[in-house]
Amino acid sequence: MTVLATPSAVNRGLERRVRRKGTPAETGSCTLPRVSGLRLVGIKKSYGDNPVVKGVDLDVAPGEFLVMVGPSGCGKTTLLRVIAGLEQVDAGQVLMDGQDLTPLPPRDRDVGMVFQSYALYPHMSVKQNLAFGLELRQVPPAEIDARVAEAAKMLELSHLLDRKPKALSGGQRQRVAMGRVIVRRPRLFLFDEPLSNLDTALRVQMRGELARLHRQLGVTMIYVTHDQVEAMTLATRVAVFNKGVLQQVGPPLELYHRPANTFVATFLGSPSMNLFEARRDGSRFVGQGFALEARGEVTGEVKLGLRPQDLSVAADGPFSGEVEAVERLGFDGYAFLKTAAGPLAARFDGSVPVDVGQQVKVKPLGDVVHLFSADGAKALWHPEARR
Amino acid sequence: MKRSQLTVALVHVVLVLACVASLYPVLWVVKMALSPAQSLSLSLNPFPQEVTFDHFREVLLSHDSQGRWLFGRQLLASVVVSGATTLVGLSLAVTAAYALSRFRFPGKDAGMQTLLVTQMFPATLMLVPLFAILQRLSLLDSWGGLVLVYSTTSLPFCVWMLKGYFDTIPRELEEAAVMDGASAWQVFWKVVLPLARPALAVTALFSFMTAWNEFILSATLINDAARFTLPVALQQYVGEWKTEWGHFAAGALVVSAPVMALFFALQKYLVGGLTAGAVKG
Amino acid sequence: MTRLSVLALLMATDGLAAEPLKLWHAYRGGEEQAIEAAVKRYTDKTGVQVELLSVPYDAFSSKLTSAIPHDAGPDVFIFAHERLRQFHRLKVIAPSTGRLDRSKYIKSTVDALEVDGELYGYPLSLKTLALFLNTELVPDAPTTTDDWLKALERTTDPSKPRFGLAYAAGDFYLHAPFVFGFGAKLFDDTTGRATFDTPGMAKSLAFVKGLQDRGFLPQEVSGALVKSLFNEGRAAMVISGPWFTGEIDQAVKYRIVPLPTVTETGLPLMPFLGVEAALVSARTRQPEQAQALAEFLSLGEATALRVNPGRQIPAELAAYELTEVQQDPVISAFKDVAARAVPTPNTLEMAKVWEPMKLALRGVLQGEVAPEAAGQLAERRYRALNRDRPPDAPKLPYAIALVVALAGFAFWRWTKRGPAQAFARRYPEAARGLAWVSPAAVGIFVLIVIPFVWGISLAFFHHDAGEYSFVGLANFTDILTSKGYRVTEPLSFWFTLAVTIAWTFVNVTLHVSIGLALAILLKDPLLKLRGVYRVLLIVPWAVPNYITALMWKGMFHRQFGAINGLLSALGLEPVSWFTQFSTAFAANVITNTWLGFPFMMVVSLGALQSIPQDLYEAAEVDGASKWTQFRRITLPLLKPALLPSVILGCVWTFNMFNIIYLVSGGEPGGATDILVSEAYRWAFQRNEQYGFAAAYAVLIFFVLLGWTRLTRRLTGPEAA
Repeated sequence: MTVLATPSAVNRGLERRVRRKGTPAETGSCTLPRVSGLRLVGIKKSYGDNPVVKGVDLDVAPGEFLVMVGPSGCGKTTLLRVIAGLEQVDAGQVLMDGQDLTPLPPRDRDVGMVFQSYALYPHMSVKQNLAFGLELRQVPPAEIDARVAEAAKMLELSHLLDRKPKALSGGQRQRVAMGRVIVRRPRLFLFDEPLSNLDTALRVQMRGELARLHRQLGVTMIYVTHDQVEAMTLATRVAVFNKGVLQQVGPPLELYHRPANTFVATFLGSPSMNLFEARRDGSRFVGQGFALEARGEVTGEVKLGLRPQDLSVAADGPFSGEVEAVERLGFDGYAFLKTAAGPLAARFDGSVPVDVGQQVKVKPLGDVVHLFSADGAKALWHPEARR
Repeated sequence: MKRSQLTVALVHVVLVLACVASLYPVLWVVKMALSPAQSLSLSLNPFPQEVTFDHFREVLLSHDSQGRWLFGRQLLASVVVSGATTLVGLSLAVTAAYALSRFRFPGKDAGMQTLLVTQMFPATLMLVPLFAILQRLSLLDSWGGLVLVYSTTSLPFCVWMLKGYFDTIPRELEEAAVMDGASAWQVFWKVVLPLARPALAVTALFSFMTAWNEFILSATLINDAARFTLPVALQQYVGEWKTEWGHFAAGALVVSAPVMALFFALQKYLVGGLTAGAVKG
Repeated sequence: MTRLSVLALLMATDGLAAEPLKLWHAYRGGEEQAIEAAVKRYTDKTGVQVELLSVPYDAFSSKLTSAIPHDAGPDVFIFAHERLRQFHRLKVIAPSTGRLDRSKYIKSTVDALEVDGELYGYPLSLKTLALFLNTELVPDAPTTTDDWLKALERTTDPSKPRFGLAYAAGDFYLHAPFVFGFGAKLFDDTTGRATFDTPGMAKSLAFVKGLQDRGFLPQEVSGALVKSLFNEGRAAMVISGPWFTGEIDQAVKYRIVPLPTVTETGLPLMPFLGVEAALVSARTRQPEQAQALAEFLSLGEATALRVNPGRQIPAELAAYELTEVQQDPVISAFKDVAARAVPTPNTLEMAKVWEPMKLALRGVLQGEVAPEAAGQLAERRYRALNRDRPPDAPKLPYAIALVVALAGFAFWRWTKRGPAQAFARRYPEAARGLAWVSPAAVGIFVLIVIPFVWGISLAFFHHDAGEYSFVGLANFTDILTSKGYRVTEPLSFWFTLAVTIAWTFVNVTLHVSIGLALAILLKDPLLKLRGVYRVLLIVPWAVPNYITALMWKGMFHRQFGAINGLLSALGLEPVSWFTQFSTAFAANVITNTWLGFPFMMVVSLGALQSIPQDLYEAAEVDGASKWTQFRRITLPLLKPALLPSVILGCVWTFNMFNIIYLVSGGEPGGATDILVSEAYRWAFQRNEQYGFAAAYAVLIFFVLLGWTRLTRRLTGPEAA
């Protein structure tokens, strides 16, 4: 990963020695980079009788941009709040550079957080919003001014310092919320779906700014989102959660190419990976209405995964079905089929005429089949080229 | 959408009539206060025929036998008692309402119910036990006792109002402050309270009015004319055998004036403060 | 050692002597100056410091009865003798027997101070009623009622209008001379019980009703009206007391004469004689000095001061030897008047006469009851008010019931408890939360909850002159079965409850609809002068409500109130507001509506502003009319915002004591009383039946509690 320390990033987090120590990964067949910057050990948290986080172990390396994704209610936000200290754990530890943060209140943890709603103080001007955290820490006024000015410049807020949050646009508010964390120079930045309230164009722009910021500051950031595009574009590593359990953690492409289970496989990538039940029959996998050449030694009942991008509407192929819907993206697009084995999405290019109601055939583009155990909990085989 | 001239004119007519109705009785008090007679003024015309400031002069300049400027001292008493009531009442209400809005603790729901329930017991019948309790606390004949009673009697309403308002303040703001390094107290003082300003204004006004207008308790508990609050002085003009209406009216205006001034000063908060609390209340 | 203790003893006694005596009174004006001057003389003479306190009359009696038993009261206080027996039974006064020299005072004034063979206090001055003549209109004093009627005939002139006579005829104190003049006895000679249904009583009522019917006497006369009429020359004669002399303009020539003799019976119209006495507290720590001060106030120089500047009628005989007094036409006139007066009985029985008599008197004057039937009416009310003391109830079953109830409650809570969880997990913030609430909780507990529980427990007792006896549920059963009177009578709980519910419903409906209507008009941001209107419309809220009540009371006056003025200006008949239930009720409602609509207006304004404008635009597009928009958008969206305020408004209106008490005062005949004012009357105007009043309060509490529970259930959880 790239760590570009700018003069402003006098980050204590960076200067700390990285200690390497192995912890068993919860799931996944891949190996994690075992470095510690932040380490979560066996975190458990429930609200009443409802467990939200069911024992999570996770290491975050210094300078890393870790994105936690998952459907709503998967525990990612709770985990972020646990790291921030806003929630108390039922069990487990939060360690930062070996120091146990668990008993510490948020203000002694040296972490900053950007909230989904930005949580700007409506009664304070932009400047006061930025300076608030420093004033509470009794930083000398001169330094407060300098740091606020610096952050404002970095975020292009300098001309807005005297405005109240009410008088700002969505993007500007977002930047103030980030500035509020930046001026404090914490060891760890936390983001809770910070872009979800912006429109698409702004979101793309802010994504770029966030990436730039991370490069510029080089600090450890943990980012929660349910948007896989954000996860894929921003993260140095992505952690996928479902139902309070960490499913897989790794660099974005690794997760995409080598998902640890069907949940991760379907969660990342759009349209979602096609999954079919199949059974090994000699050299082939046979499912309802289709048969595919098999590779590897996997036998018995399996879940068979095929990314839509790896399938193409063609004159001939192992899958056939009726086109139910078509998404044209220009020169190519996706066709959504109803097949005997279940719904299926596949790419097509402009040269092939595809219309709703048409019977078409679909073929895989080479060695593209992912195999999962029948219950979907474990990946058994990934295509050779992506291993 | 454009409204017809007629509709606008009609709206104004209705509003003017409403204003006349709301001002007429007050003008009448003004008239009694300004007319030379000491009697009830009983006529349709709400404007005085003859204007004199004697009643005001007599009320404002009243001295007792020891040469103490009674009005001045009673004004001071009223200001001190009402001010302290507002302060004590507000600080008690604000902390309690905040806890009720934010923290979970045993007895919380029961506490909220109790607050509402206390509004239902007629206050006039509490005088006898109250006196005994205050005596045990050695708070008879002291402003402190008055302040305590007033601030607690206005508490239930204040707590309900404020709790409703606090409920509307997003928790994320507080969490942001926590992340910024604020202690629980700083979160409350620097973030929550400034945001609750409309509700605080309404609550303060309510506490102030409770203390400013009350006279039975004040007359019963205080044993020195120079330490009575103004409404007691006002009540002294209503005698067993005769009532000095001119003085009473002048005094009534003097007593009402600060409350009115406060109302107008805090008007812009009234609407927001009352409703936000009420919506969630 | 010994020297030290002697020193300490000296200092202690010294400190005791230095403690000033406290003297409380309700005097104003010249009377206050007189008492201040007298006290100053006393201090100059004896060196004993005296602290004076003038208490508003309305609060005086409750202040005395609360303060003295707690050793927080005065050493000496000045009060009329009528309450003597009650003070005696509450043990707040000390006897003056043996000290007081009977021969120094007018005999009747000393008689008035006797309770069960002991004398209490020292008579200072007397108050009684005389006839005030405007000498320009009535040069000669009428000696008989026949003369009087002629003079009234002559001086009454409806065109001016001028009345022959003005006095507060609805007040029994002023009617009493007629009762005695027509030969009626107020108390049975043998049993001492009050009697109302007598021929003399009927005649006296018929006589006064005749005065009013023939236009000699204005209707619904208040003290204020009497004064303005007499000063403006629009009343030729007035029945009033010495206090009235201070109210007469210098320009008016007048004379004071005794009331005339009733031609029919040959008896004079004999007014009550009230004696103001300096009473010594039973709990004073300096009984010697207190007695000395009280005695000093009743004699010699203090008497002279009471004559001038006090303008009081002295009780001391020697005063009438003073040339100053002999030359004073007013004071000397009153001495003659006093000679005919009957000391108001200081018996407890007397205290029970006022309310029934007031009821009868007003009923007759307002033409609702025939004079002959009025005695019966009074008699019935008398019996209803004077509940027999319920038998003592055994305490044990109640104690057991209480324990069982508490245990049952605890068990119920226990069965409803949540899933077993560690306390710390269930309430992670318990310590913090409790710390934040505790200051308020302690305050509320000590100053609200304890008095509240105390109040509730009083409901199980009967109170009689400071003595409480446990009677179990008797108070409740008496109230709920409306024992002693029909359910349809104003005294019945059920009748009052119905009135209270109607009162609450009508008021809150008016508050909300007027407030909402004005809010809708004021909502339009393009409206000019919007801010001004809003400010002016809030004014009624800012005026203290007792001032509001007194203002409106005056405006509803029969002859001179602005409302009737407006009605006559519009060519309508003036209304006698407080003589009928419907109009008296309406007067209360109008006053309270004036008082209450601004609150609802402000709440509605806020609620309206919270409704998104695009909903109206959407409705507009859908073709909804303004009315439909109001019904289908405004009202439903307003409901959650308004409901809590409406509930609170109902609770407040339900217990809106001031307006009822000060505007209609329950007239006619207690019919417009609501539960709270009824409870107040039982507690403070009907022989301090605290237990009975507390039972009322408890019932009020349960009615409201049930009602809020019901509304909450009906309106669903979003309202809670």
